[in-house]
Amino acid sequence: MTGSSNRVTDSIVFLSLVRYRVVVILVATLVLSASFVPGFFEARTLSLGVDRVATMGLLAIGLTVVLIAGQLDLSGGAILALSGIAAIGLQPALGQVPAALVGIAIAVAAGAVNGLLVVVLKINSLVATLATMVFFRAVCHLVTDSRPISGIDPFFGIPLTQPVAGTVSSRVLVFLVLILLLHVWLTRSVAGRNVFAVGSNAGSATASGVRSNAYLFGAFVFSGTMAGVAGVTFSIASNTGSPMFGDTIVLTAIAAVVIGGTRLEGGVGSALGTLGGLLTLAALTTAMEYQSVPAYVQSIATGCILLLLILLDRFTFSKQGVDLSLPALARRIRRRTGDAQQDTTQENERTIT
Amino acid sequence: MTSSTAPTRAQNAAARSVDRLTKGSAFSRIGSWVGMPVGIALLLVVGSLLSDRFLSIGNLTNVLINISILGVIVVGMTFVFITRGLADLSVPATVAVGAILVLGLQPTIGTIPAALVAILAALVAGVVNGLLIGYAGINPVITTLAVGTIVLGIAQWSVGGVIVYGTDPAAQAFLNGRVFGIPVIVMVFLAVAVIGHLVLSRTTLGRWVYAAGGNPDATRASAVPLFLTRGSAFVLTAGLAGLAGVLLGVTLQTARPGIGIGYEFDAITAVVVGGVSLLGGSGSIPRAIGGLLFVALLNNILVLQGVPTAVQGIAKGTLIVAAVSLDVYLRRKGGQS
Repeated sequence: MTGSSNRVTDSIVFLSLVRYRVVVILVATLVLSASFVPGFFEARTLSLGVDRVATMGLLAIGLTVVLIAGQLDLSGGAILALSGIAAIGLQPALGQVPAALVGIAIAVAAGAVNGLLVVVLKINSLVATLATMVFFRAVCHLVTDSRPISGIDPFFGIPLTQPVAGTVSSRVLVFLVLILLLHVWLTRSVAGRNVFAVGSNAGSATASGVRSNAYLFGAFVFSGTMAGVAGVTFSIASNTGSPMFGDTIVLTAIAAVVIGGTRLEGGVGSALGTLGGLLTLAALTTAMEYQSVPAYVQSIATGCILLLLILLDRFTFSKQGVDLSLPALARRIRRRTGDAQQDTTQENERTIT
Repeated sequence: MTSSTAPTRAQNAAARSVDRLTKGSAFSRIGSWVGMPVGIALLLVVGSLLSDRFLSIGNLTNVLINISILGVIVVGMTFVFITRGLADLSVPATVAVGAILVLGLQPTIGTIPAALVAILAALVAGVVNGLLIGYAGINPVITTLAVGTIVLGIAQWSVGGVIVYGTDPAAQAFLNGRVFGIPVIVMVFLAVAVIGHLVLSRTTLGRWVYAAGGNPDATRASAVPLFLTRGSAFVLTAGLAGLAGVLLGVTLQTARPGIGIGYEFDAITAVVVGGVSLLGGSGSIPRAIGGLLFVALLNNILVLQGVPTAVQGIAKGTLIVAAVSLDVYLRRKGGQS
């Protein structure tokens, strides 16, 4: 207690609020949504609410890794459309399952192109993925003649959107399993730690024996693959492939990842945070649509939340020295109450003497 | 992204010391200056060989008119690039603000005051960008994305999410008309480009802009107001995007909220093809305009050849990659950073 709690901004309560801001904002949004939407916590409403972010969520999984590695990927929306078109357009020739696999394979290849541009040609990832975004989108328009195409069997995609055992739809299940796997991988494996190392300083990571370029390349391939999975599931579920799919999804997905506490500068982030960011956006959209608030007011709210959270993030970053993990917090609180008791006993002794 | 600049600078330094021995730098430095004019000249030759309509005054004037509105934004985006501000993704929002406000306010206060109010509103968005990026030090990509989302939302809200129609055909006729044979809109663009170039090359602010992008730490140590410089690039871009929105709104006489979508990426494309690096510290307005002209002429040739729009996208994507990898290659050889 050396005067560190004099200012509000230094108080441990404030700092821990900032540290766990994703949880705070998620709980706040959920409470707000629950008070606006009757039956918000019913399984059906929740399931539908989560289902609408499944596609963006799959994309955000890939983006989380790319952002932690300190790069940016704008091409996800175009890869999503391209793989969806392949999965639908090749159905008559190959059959449904092989077509879906080809769609994902194309996405892997597209991710590899991004990786090559960034790692081998050393192009800044913002510009490189901007170029591939324009390129892949043009390919989509070229192969479909700018028209949406439909699949051969509208019933093929139904299982993807049907609730499994009365809970969530199977594509949401896929998304949830993948994001939990990513969390375990990022926090528990050596390779996961290395991604953080590459993101915070690629040069130092290389100097410490981490193959930075391989990790960067892998991050882009992974991001492309997840965009492909998102595109294939979305196209099969809607039985349509369109060159217009996902034209604004990437920026929103990046916003969700950043709301989840991942830094655009790289080196900081978490998969569970991304899940929190996505759920926040989903709850917000559900509540606002129920109140029939126009889409542009939703975008104002999303933008404000994003801005607030990056400002808070900036703040915690300057207070990095403070240990705010849960055990440390518990210890601090215990110590503080202990101190208070000590003070009173000392004072008592003094009055006695 | 800030982390990726450190190794590149180290590589540049290494390349520089190698180059002193190999003397390859003179060639590559000349190459980076002559490249764009030669490229444009080459396109003019190819275009005139492929189509006899290409080299007509009418066609080339059309190309100029088409790039004028985008060109106004490119001037601002060049400032952002040179200060190492990455990119301004709020351009679609500020363009929409300019277009919507000028048409929305036209009936009550007249076209010119409406235009001024529209540009002022865009400037306010730019000031928010500038404060957050310059003073709070937040990543420009995410800041401009967030501010853009909010500003576009407010612009849509203010008109109820519908299309606004203009009521002043005289203003439209004036912008589309010609003075001394030069289209007015092209003159506006040229005026903005010349002023921008003079500010960048002749004023203290211009020197600060280069310094801020070249070496931020040294710049701050030399008592240059780094935050102000970086912020002002975003204020300038927002103001110019607002002006572009005004021009767009008045010439089209309609404005919908999505009117500016795509301008941010087109402006980045032009600046990047012009050889202005994302790493900051180098580049100029004429180079960016050269990039803009190159892309526009290429598009024009493809259109005259009857190539489908999709192929133009493929060409544009390839062009960005080619231009940037050439820039990276020349920097590594030439050792300029």
